[in-house]
Amino acid sequence: MKILLMGHPNVGKSVFFNRLTGAKVFESNYPGTTVDFMKGWMRLEGEDVELIDVPGAFSLEPKDRAEEVAVKMLAENRDSVVVCVLDASKVERGLYLALEIIERGYPVVVALNMWDIAEDKNIRIDVEKLERILGVPVVPTTAISGEGFKELVSKIKEAAPVKIEGVIESASAVSAAASAGKEGGGESAAVS
Amino acid sequence: MRLRAQVKKEVVKVPLSVDERWDLIENISKQTVEFGAYKHTLKDAIAELTVKPLTGIPVAIAVIYGFWSFFCDFAGTLFTDGFMVKIFDEHWLPWLQSVFPGGLRNSFYALMVDAGHLEEGILVASDNCFEAFGVLTSGLFIVFGVVLWAILAFYLIFAILEDIGYLPRLAVLVDTVLHKIGLHGYAIVPTFLSLGCNVPGVTATRPLETRKQRFMMMTLLAIFVPCGAQIGIMQDLVPELMGWIFLTLAIGYLGFGFILNKIVPGKSPELIMDVPPYQMPTLRNIGRKLWIRTSGFLLVAVPFVLLGCLIVGLMYLTGAMDWLAAVFGPLLMVWFGVPSETVAPLIAGFLRKDLAVGVLGGLMAQGIMTTFQVFTSVILLCIYFPCLATFALMIKEENWKELLGSLASLVAMVFVYGGLIHLVGIILGVA
Repeated sequence: MKILLMGHPNVGKSVFFNRLTGAKVFESNYPGTTVDFMKGWMRLEGEDVELIDVPGAFSLEPKDRAEEVAVKMLAENRDSVVVCVLDASKVERGLYLALEIIERGYPVVVALNMWDIAEDKNIRIDVEKLERILGVPVVPTTAISGEGFKELVSKIKEAAPVKIEGVIESASAVSAAASAGKEGGGESAAVS
Repeated sequence: MRLRAQVKKEVVKVPLSVDERWDLIENISKQTVEFGAYKHTLKDAIAELTVKPLTGIPVAIAVIYGFWSFFCDFAGTLFTDGFMVKIFDEHWLPWLQSVFPGGLRNSFYALMVDAGHLEEGILVASDNCFEAFGVLTSGLFIVFGVVLWAILAFYLIFAILEDIGYLPRLAVLVDTVLHKIGLHGYAIVPTFLSLGCNVPGVTATRPLETRKQRFMMMTLLAIFVPCGAQIGIMQDLVPELMGWIFLTLAIGYLGFGFILNKIVPGKSPELIMDVPPYQMPTLRNIGRKLWIRTSGFLLVAVPFVLLGCLIVGLMYLTGAMDWLAAVFGPLLMVWFGVPSETVAPLIAGFLRKDLAVGVLGGLMAQGIMTTFQVFTSVILLCIYFPCLATFALMIKEENWKELLGSLASLVAMVFVYGGLIHLVGIILGVA
């Protein structure tokens, strides 16, 4: 098994990589720091697992060299779990890539990174509900300070491929229930 | 190119169309994401001040001025002039001259310690490490006396700017100017990186969308952007000329970029870049970056500078340098207005630019060049060829057509721009 770190440019994938592997990868606060992939090893429940820091990509229809590398890495590593790192303050944009990866049948864990910035911006995300709709683990993280990492690592083994039809169904089911009973919504999750 | 072909061959079946996927996302986010009232924070206020032209341009000037002052004061004045020149010229050089076997006229001694120089026909010992030109004297002085401190100072400030998130703001500010030459504001990132070392600069061109933009960017970087090692040693050698040097290179960068944009086929589309929020840099990350970059520099610079020193020394000893000077001398003198001896730094520059400027320093110490000739030589050293490491990377990143294009631009540029500088010098009466 391998783990691929994927996500938009500058959502903190390299910070994840450094935290998880203890390796030395550049972290810079501008998009496109990692233009080539980086490999490292992390401990997962007593096993050494290979972790690959994939260059930032907005979608799997490549538009630049870095995205080409990303698509190639994904295709070459069919047996991987993908940790899809999203910017919590721009969930919609990040979900596009996450859905594309889910549609291709990869097991996915979604990390809602930059959770602190989302909080600053007063954006509330219902993590539990998002998890229920997507059918994959969703974990809020703040990579720079290390919050949420324990939970993220523990969820990697739980990740399993889900059918996109199931996601569509649960999205509309939850939506129907919400409009009927007006119960869902309200509660918002905090970083554990 | 090869990569793109592979990706296309493999057609991946995905169940959703682009529109269906966005519909689903809208449905999901409607239910799970709630946008509260947006609070304007201090961070936002600072972010706006640094992007709006009216306040952003003065801030940018202040940042770059501060960067440069720190670079000069920390690396040049404090370390190089304050400690290293004294250590190398007053202790290391005299000590080696007294204990190293051989003495002047001995070839091995000349290569390793001091080649000496002629004063009124008599060979005399050198009294500083620029002049001596031995592997153990000038070679070590260039790396550890001058360039190491310049690299440290540059990367310290650069890492802080990177981690705060200032670079994308600078990109937004210069976007309009760079669009005039077919580049995007993002070009500021490879350009800035290249001011440290051209190698990561060339790698950082990958997020640019079209081959045209990448080709232009790589060519401009290789020709007009001096690296940190080179800047460090130039600053030590000719501090009073630095303003003119940067101005000349900047004019070349923009002017030649404008021409390239007109003649290179292809498109220069908008590249949409995120401007990330400002962040507090962490000491851990700054320290780590500084360590990786500085040790990376030493790993390449030490062997290459020492080897280069040896090669140049051997070429002097065997008479190869005099032969080259005789062959290329007329061209150098007539077209560029520099003495035939300039051939030595130009040879060294194939290997490393800091070494090349060091060799030039040796020539200056002999008093055979006018200030304007020094200025022209320094510019020629910048633009005539990227260093070996950068060139090797360009071979990897460009296809053969682009590589030929880069080389052709390079040759054209050296002759046109070098000649132009000479012409301006003649008109102004300084050449």
